[in-house]
Amino acid sequence: MQKMAYTFSFPEEVLEHVFSFIWSERDRNAISLVCKSWYEIERWCRRKVFVGNCYAVSPLMVIKRFPELRSIALKGKPHFADFNLVPEGWGGYVCPWIAAMARAFPCLEEIRLKRMVITDESLELIAKSFKNFKVLVLTSCEGFTADGLTAIASNCRNLRELDLQESEVEDLSGHWLSHFPDSYTSLVSLNISCLNHEVSLSALERLLGRCRNLRTLRLNRAVPLDRLPNLLLRCPQLVELGTGVYSTEMRPEVFSNLEAAFSGCKQLKSLSGFWDVLPSYLPAVYPICSRLTSLNLSYAIIQSSDLIKLISQCPNLLRLWVLDYIEDAGLYALAASCKDLRELRVFPSEPFGLEPNVSLTEQGLVSVSEGCPKLQSVLYFCRQMSNAALHTIARNRPNLTRFRLCIIEPRTPDYLTLEPLDSGFGAIVEQCKDLQRLSLSGLLTDRVFEYIGTYAKKLEMLSVAFAGDSDLGLHHVLSGCDNLRKLEIRDCPFGDKALLANAEKLETMRSLWMSSCSVSYGACKLLGQKMPRLNVEVIDERGPPDSRPDDCPVEKLYIYRTVAGPRLDMPGFVWTMEDDSSLRLE
Amino acid sequence: MFDAAMAVVKPEMKSYIWLQTVDGSIQQVEEEVAMFCPMICQEVLQTGLGSSKTYAISLPQRVNPAMLGLILDYCRFHQVPGHSNKERKTFDEKFIRMDTKKLCELTSAADSLQLKPLVDLTSRALARIIEGKTPEEIRETFHLPDDLTEDLCQEEKLEPLRNITDDPRIRLLNRLYARKRKELKERKKLKDVEVEEEPKDERSVEDLLSFINGADGDIKGTRANKNKKKNRRRKDHAKDISSENTNENDKELNPLPSAYHDVNFDNALEASASKHSRTQNLPAINFSPKFEFIDGDVDDDLDPAMKEELDREVEDFARRLNSDWPERMQILSLGQDRRLVPISMNSNGSTHLYTGFDQR
Repeated sequence: MQKMAYTFSFPEEVLEHVFSFIWSERDRNAISLVCKSWYEIERWCRRKVFVGNCYAVSPLMVIKRFPELRSIALKGKPHFADFNLVPEGWGGYVCPWIAAMARAFPCLEEIRLKRMVITDESLELIAKSFKNFKVLVLTSCEGFTADGLTAIASNCRNLRELDLQESEVEDLSGHWLSHFPDSYTSLVSLNISCLNHEVSLSALERLLGRCRNLRTLRLNRAVPLDRLPNLLLRCPQLVELGTGVYSTEMRPEVFSNLEAAFSGCKQLKSLSGFWDVLPSYLPAVYPICSRLTSLNLSYAIIQSSDLIKLISQCPNLLRLWVLDYIEDAGLYALAASCKDLRELRVFPSEPFGLEPNVSLTEQGLVSVSEGCPKLQSVLYFCRQMSNAALHTIARNRPNLTRFRLCIIEPRTPDYLTLEPLDSGFGAIVEQCKDLQRLSLSGLLTDRVFEYIGTYAKKLEMLSVAFAGDSDLGLHHVLSGCDNLRKLEIRDCPFGDKALLANAEKLETMRSLWMSSCSVSYGACKLLGQKMPRLNVEVIDERGPPDSRPDDCPVEKLYIYRTVAGPRLDMPGFVWTMEDDSSLRLE
Repeated sequence: MFDAAMAVVKPEMKSYIWLQTVDGSIQQVEEEVAMFCPMICQEVLQTGLGSSKTYAISLPQRVNPAMLGLILDYCRFHQVPGHSNKERKTFDEKFIRMDTKKLCELTSAADSLQLKPLVDLTSRALARIIEGKTPEEIRETFHLPDDLTEDLCQEEKLEPLRNITDDPRIRLLNRLYARKRKELKERKKLKDVEVEEEPKDERSVEDLLSFINGADGDIKGTRANKNKKKNRRRKDHAKDISSENTNENDKELNPLPSAYHDVNFDNALEASASKHSRTQNLPAINFSPKFEFIDGDVDDDLDPAMKEELDREVEDFARRLNSDWPERMQILSLGQDRRLVPISMNSNGSTHLYTGFDQR
């Protein structure tokens, strides 16, 4: 006898209530694939959607599927846009999405964009269309000016969050802040750190004075240090602060005002900013160091000795972003002081210098892996590394989920043995069983990819540069990494065979980027014909690929799965390898 | 009088509420415990019921005696003041340790009694059970049907027929099969995409609907034309049908519409079209099917009841398509047989068709 399904006696509203306690996108997606009734209930009560590639699905499909959306997050350009590998004008335009949502979702409250192009017209449409708009996050976005921000400030009466992290804003005057109405008081988070010009400090002071719930404030570089105390006095409830420039003429009253202002912020947990640091002013933050859980000094030129003094007073740090001025000595101090550290990012101060300008080596990272038992996430730029160090790190921290190692000079071998770094990275993927993100660098053969294909079963994102010997390397990755979602490859000798042999795999991934590799134009065409649910984009600024032989390698290739078909906004230098038989008998 | 009233009250040390579950059993519950349920509290205040066995409060159907017992245990503990938050939390954690089926029943029962704290508690527990599981695991845990992917079973039935004699009818069937197979595969692939498109893709139904509407009279034909215009506007490129395509489609499409028309359509709609009007409709038959086969999307404009009826006919037609070949041939031959008379009066094709009939 067939068992009666529970849902027969389980009202929809109760099931919807159960779903309301499930927040992760992965779990929501799983729920919607269970059965027809769960699919229907889930789609009507889904409020938030994340679209990892704005060309994977069309706005109309999202609207039809999730009629009650309140919040959407969209990603546009490939990640390698951050390294200037994606040409200007490639795409990532948010305008069609805003236009469609303006018609369909008048109650939309939150928009989060990353690596997308957004115009002032789109910002104006957002400001006019969504009556209860609350959150606008633009991360690494471009295409807008102060005019768009003025529209947002003037019209979004319920705005809580305005975050312009790492975005490029053109032709900016600072007066858009004064367009927030005097009656506007709802701001909780403001991030203007990316702005290049001065902002109206008087407007900012008035804004901060009346927004009593402000918790996050990230200023831009142009905000002078001697005005910072005035700002902080108006919002002592801050939890996260990004300073502007952190130097000025040495005057005793500036220091004492600064120290008093910092001391007055009893809930401050996160600091960032600190452009152009004058070390004499660093002690002003010492009174709050014991409360800090996050410190982003990636724009701060602070020498190792000053960093050591600062870090030694922050025993509760969970996250530290810093330039390589910290040196090994600073990382020893970090390992000794910060036992709860989960994330460390060390950025290069002189990435294009030919010689090391600081004394940062693999030993710094080894000491952190020894001293910080909760370390999970590492981004480390350095100039030398060894297999022995990588083995030690893997043994010390098998709980790593993100490991991004960027040895600045391509194809750098193990500096002790001059061998490839295969076995070191092999140890990382073998022992760190929950590894989700990996960036490779240094001298590497196909053997490292065999390790990755064999052991990295939870790997979701892999970055590869100047590595490998043959197609076999790529084949190991595509055939072995079951959970791979994003793969980005540059300057590797990977060609047609591995790509075509694993064509089915590409439909299970979000995207694949390959530049300066050995993939031929003919293989791209074949892939496009064979896999109609993939967009295979050849990016070639030299002219039409058709003008060259089929076996000629393509310069840049971007492949992503889509249910929306070829996109309509391609520039002249992008060619989509389309399925050219509309109705084929198989 | 005053003294008498006091005398009546004194003997009762405790007040009780009488509750009846759907199976008819009645029990009395301490008033303060029962009133902890908003639904029961409302009922007592509004109707006065619950004061005696004869006037017991009837509980919602979802509350069976076992669930009521659990709910009253929860209420007994939480309605007592003085428990610390830690004690309450400990009680709750022990309380929700039960199998998934019982947890579902309890959630449903608590919801019908509007006992929000308990609904939240059990809903969170169910949410924790669901989290981290794959769709297959969730179906197994909750005994749910795998009905999103049932369509995939149909894929096997859609294998193309071998077309040895280049029969236009077989070519048409293979084309339909290929289209449907493609749609089923697309549906499967959609599940891999993070933002899911609706898995139900109705184009296969639309293709079949185009035959029904093609076989119909002018009114439906007009409606179909409107759809075609709408569809053409939505498409990025216009489809240009060459005369060669027209001829081929004409040839391919003719047999099936009339076959279906003659066998089923009249009966289903109880049409009283005469032989004469059927003859007059021949041009429509020739014209509409080929366009709708290309553009076909008639769902939007159909009246829901009409659409439902058409869907049933489509299913019947699909069943016939999937039947054994001899049955298919029988259907088609019937169509052929009846069309002999009108065609022989009009075109040279009659010779060819007549020859075919003789061969059979």
